Amino acid sequence: MTPKHTSAEPVVHARDVTMTYGDIDVLHGVDLDIHRGEVLALLGPNGAGKTTTVEILEGFRRRSAGEVSVLGTDPERGDDAWRGRIGLVLQSWRDHRRWRVAELLRHFATYYPDPRDPAELLDLVGLTDQAGRQVDRLSGGRRRRLDVALGIVGRPELLFLDEPTTGFDPEARHEFHVLVERLARDEGVTVLLTTHDLVEAERLADRIAMLVGGRIRACGTPAELARRAAAQAEVRWTADDGTSRRERTQDPSRLVWELHRHADGPIPDLEVRRPTLEDTYLHMVHREADGTGGDADEDGDTGADGEAQVA
Amino acid sequence: MRKTPMTNGLRAGIQRGGIELRHLLRNGKEMSGHLINVVVALLVAAYVSDDVPGTRTPMSHLVLAGFAAYLLFQIGLINFPQILVTEREEGALLRLRATPGGIPAYLVAKCLLVVVLAVGCLALLLAAAALLVDGPLPHGQGDWLTLLWVTTLGLLAVVPLGAAIGAVLPNPREALALIMLPAMGLLLTSGVVFPITSLPVPVQQVAAVFPLKWMAQGLRSALLPDAARTAEVAGSWELPMVALVLTVWAVLGFLLAVPLLRRAARRESGSRLSARHRKAEQSGALPT
Repeated sequence: MTPKHTSAEPVVHARDVTMTYGDIDVLHGVDLDIHRGEVLALLGPNGAGKTTTVEILEGFRRRSAGEVSVLGTDPERGDDAWRGRIGLVLQSWRDHRRWRVAELLRHFATYYPDPRDPAELLDLVGLTDQAGRQVDRLSGGRRRRLDVALGIVGRPELLFLDEPTTGFDPEARHEFHVLVERLARDEGVTVLLTTHDLVEAERLADRIAMLVGGRIRACGTPAELARRAAAQAEVRWTADDGTSRRERTQDPSRLVWELHRHADGPIPDLEVRRPTLEDTYLHMVHREADGTGGDADEDGDTGADGEAQVA
Repeated sequence: MRKTPMTNGLRAGIQRGGIELRHLLRNGKEMSGHLINVVVALLVAAYVSDDVPGTRTPMSHLVLAGFAAYLLFQIGLINFPQILVTEREEGALLRLRATPGGIPAYLVAKCLLVVVLAVGCLALLLAAAALLVDGPLPHGQGDWLTLLWVTTLGLLAVVPLGAAIGAVLPNPREALALIMLPAMGLLLTSGVVFPITSLPVPVQQVAAVFPLKWMAQGLRSALLPDAARTAEVAGSWELPMVALVLTVWAVLGFLLAVPLLRRAARRESGSRLSARHRKAEQSGALPT
């Protein structure tokens, strides 16, 4: 019933997905591929259509048009066997408050054909000490880790993480990142992560897709995205006269080399700042906002999309 | 070994119902909410001392039979929808929707919970009343049988209807306000705590459309001596009519509940849930 798909076939495959609510177009043709074992982060400003895209893939919303396949099935026709291969971690869950942690996990294990061992799973998410606790007495971070445990108890092949670390303290966030990395690296779970946290996206994701104005504007590794966005590196140093200088350049190595050729010795306070994901992100979002809507700079964007699909 | 979704859903549902029942029994606040009904019924029964007009049946027996019917009615049409709305708002419905076989298991668990709760409260009321205030109990096999079928059909009339109401009601707070008023109205007009014949005829006719009057009448026929039927509107228990009205409500409830529950489950998604949470937080209705 659940054949292992060949690694060549993407786990998520979406082509030209559109979504219209009344007169409002939320998605104008989203193309997205996620490959087996990959962690893909979906970034984008609020209202760009992230949630709609994810919920179409989760099978919770009907798209207006386009082609979607998730684990080889159209999510609109996903049956129980298909559901069993998908895990969800949503930020809006506050359910089963009265249940005890281990009790809840053991119960949800019974729905799946080949569940993880609940005790091992508690250990994996670091909740062994809380096994007998009532769910509504858990802290926010622990509650979310329990949600992750519930999301993976059925050994999903694809895991959706919706802003998983919102409200976490730095330590809890770090532990959560280690957990997700372990799932992806050791168990080959494919992950679709939506987040506003660019550091998190950069740390966890193999590839990042940027959804702006209802389209995937770019998709690739953080370095590829930076190149595509033509974001420039910044070189800072202190000149001979003691003033601090900064210059933006495509080629920081050449600039530094030239600085050294003209200098007598070491250059004080020399610093090369690579474009961060944040620079790239803001650049893309602003480009969208500057153009009059999405269609004004159609040419440039279609180019970027084309590249994204190749990557 | 692959489990079929059907048997697995049933098994998971029974396990779930058992766990939820245990949680309910341990929850002092919710349990006292149910027990208070029983206590109120016992106090009222101890307080009234007249006979039902025109009969030699103690008024307290009519009151207790009426409260017994109201217990079933309240659990099916007030408590049950509230449980559904609360759990939907917390995200339980969404989680089960995302779980293979989750929704059937959820419904099995909820039915189990409601039926055990209703039958438990009914048994407790009748037993406590018989012990403490000389309350009525069925006489003979026929009466027990009537008690059984009226209870069963009464629950079938209100539980699916309650599920349908729970599927369409907005948040838990508004839900309570929206159901309490009509329920209280029916409690006063259905001849539950005093003879229905003392009410104006138009009120009787309106109340006769709804199941509570017929549940109470059916339970009176099981619990009160046959001679007490002279105090009924028709001078008889009208058991065929009791069965007919309750069956119609049961069918209507099922016809409404199935598509409405399906729609409620289909509409659940993470973003809709968080949108409702935001709204509830703004109005201060939901603790974060």
